[in-house]
Amino acid sequence: MTATAPHVHPPQEVPSDDPRVQLDEAIGVFESIPPYPPRTERESEFYTLGDGEMFINVGPQHPSTHGVLRIVLKIDGEVVVDLDPVLGYLHRGVEKLCENADYHHTISYLDPLEYISSLYCEWPGVLAFEKLLDVEVPRRAEYLRVLSTELNRILSHSLFMGWMALDLGGLTPILWSMIERDEIAEMLSALTGQRLLFNYLRIGGVNGDLNHEFLSRLGDWMSRATTHLDNNLGLLNENEIFVRRMRGLGTMDKETAFRMGLTGPNLRATGVPLDFRRAHPYSVFPELEFDIPTRDEGDCLARYLVRIDEIKQSLRIIDQCLHNMPDGPIMAKVPRLLRPRPGRAYAAVEGPRGQYAAYVVSDGTDQPFRMRIHDPSFVHLQSVGLLMPGHLIADAMAVMASLDPIMGGVDK
Amino acid sequence: MDAALKRRLQDRFGARLLGPIHQRHDQTEIRIGPGDVPDVLRALHDEPGFGFILLADLAGVDTGDVMQVVYHVWSETSSDWLRIIADGLSREDPRVPSITFLWQGAEWMEREAYDMFGITFEGNRDLRRIYMPPDYQSFPLRKDFFLADDAARSPGAGVRPMEQTHAPVAGRAATMIRKTRA
Repeated sequence: MTATAPHVHPPQEVPSDDPRVQLDEAIGVFESIPPYPPRTERESEFYTLGDGEMFINVGPQHPSTHGVLRIVLKIDGEVVVDLDPVLGYLHRGVEKLCENADYHHTISYLDPLEYISSLYCEWPGVLAFEKLLDVEVPRRAEYLRVLSTELNRILSHSLFMGWMALDLGGLTPILWSMIERDEIAEMLSALTGQRLLFNYLRIGGVNGDLNHEFLSRLGDWMSRATTHLDNNLGLLNENEIFVRRMRGLGTMDKETAFRMGLTGPNLRATGVPLDFRRAHPYSVFPELEFDIPTRDEGDCLARYLVRIDEIKQSLRIIDQCLHNMPDGPIMAKVPRLLRPRPGRAYAAVEGPRGQYAAYVVSDGTDQPFRMRIHDPSFVHLQSVGLLMPGHLIADAMAVMASLDPIMGGVDK
Repeated sequence: MDAALKRRLQDRFGARLLGPIHQRHDQTEIRIGPGDVPDVLRALHDEPGFGFILLADLAGVDTGDVMQVVYHVWSETSSDWLRIIADGLSREDPRVPSITFLWQGAEWMEREAYDMFGITFEGNRDLRRIYMPPDYQSFPLRKDFFLADDAARSPGAGVRPMEQTHAPVAGRAATMIRKTRA
């Protein structure tokens, strides 16, 4: 052995004051930059960092993403510069499953799409099948459909109120709206048999008739629904922090809303009175009286207030349904095995988030040849790309909450 | 059924329509070639006689023989849903012009149709997979994709460029595919 060289300590790394030097190192345990070359121009543009910018991953498990959604934010300081939503964590392939199920079976696949407004996910599919089969639905069944779905709309909107406040940092409203939601869920479970995925609509009618428990719960709830709603509103509408943060946040105008394909409350918050219950009537809505609330501002506060006004209109509709409910059968005579003639049908309904639609192609067998499900959450979620940039991260989450996407519907 | 809409469509697009205009319930249906999509949809969107300002839905369809892209649009000038079927896309390399210049919101719906059917929308700035993982190789809603089989084919590593992923699945007997003449 030769004489060992005296051990020399490597020169000490002097920590740099330049923030960009630290940014070059790994940011966290989650890799936000995809480990493959960019596939499109947009992707390479997004994943190229400018001066002073950095990426931050929000999700897939994050309290303010309303499900399993990952958003890669490109931020400069605390301001969102650009974002790239990454979907598919909840993708179940419902359309493919429907193509391998028979027509009756399909309804139970449609249910879990938007798990807090399941009745609205069933309805367009069922309507499209009825168009293919030329089935006439009994009037009592139509009224039961309207009654149950409007209850579901209130359920969905009252949860929205809570989540909206939760994403802005208020904890109480979600607890209050869960009370409301639970009462309606118990009520609908008395009618349909299930609390979450109701599976209530059938091709040609509904699954069950009114019963004593449902009616007594409904009457009990209706007698104090308005008071409850006003209490909840007092908590939020008179909260200065809530109102001032929402006003002027994420503003969208009419033209952009149509360009982005918005429907439902998000479109009506920009001043367009488009409601498919009136614009393209289905079921018994032509016989019912209700207004279409709109707001002109197009910001988060407008989207919130439109939904509140819709709850009041829904209460009106429920009242009329109970008064006008005719007697009669709740199911049309529909065979167990359905083989519609080859053809195509499209049906859409106005749900709590917008237009729920289904496009069905039949090839004459007992399974749909193609079942396309259109979900408003999916369409609405992509406008966060327009609304978020320029806002702080905390406000960006509020913008997303105000669009009210449900990831079960986004990912299908 | 809106008979006036049928007349207007026949007068305006007569030569471009493939086949007669179908009407059933509250739907009117026209068929056009994929090359005519931008012109026809722009006319339907812009001209005050039509005014179809809302793109209600965009769907891909695999009929077993050809691919289709189906657009549903809504207008307050008509009581019908208008369905525009861009028909006759080849299954090997389906291509259709993008309509994101009219409705920016069609971007994700086109990405979905690309992801599920492999339809290339020319002009979409961000045409990549949206639901399936980026290393996924098949197109799940195609009729030659069978549930138990093809799902296991994704190797779980590596990315193929978009052009290569268009190759049809080898060794699949054409007679096994469910087809429709719709």
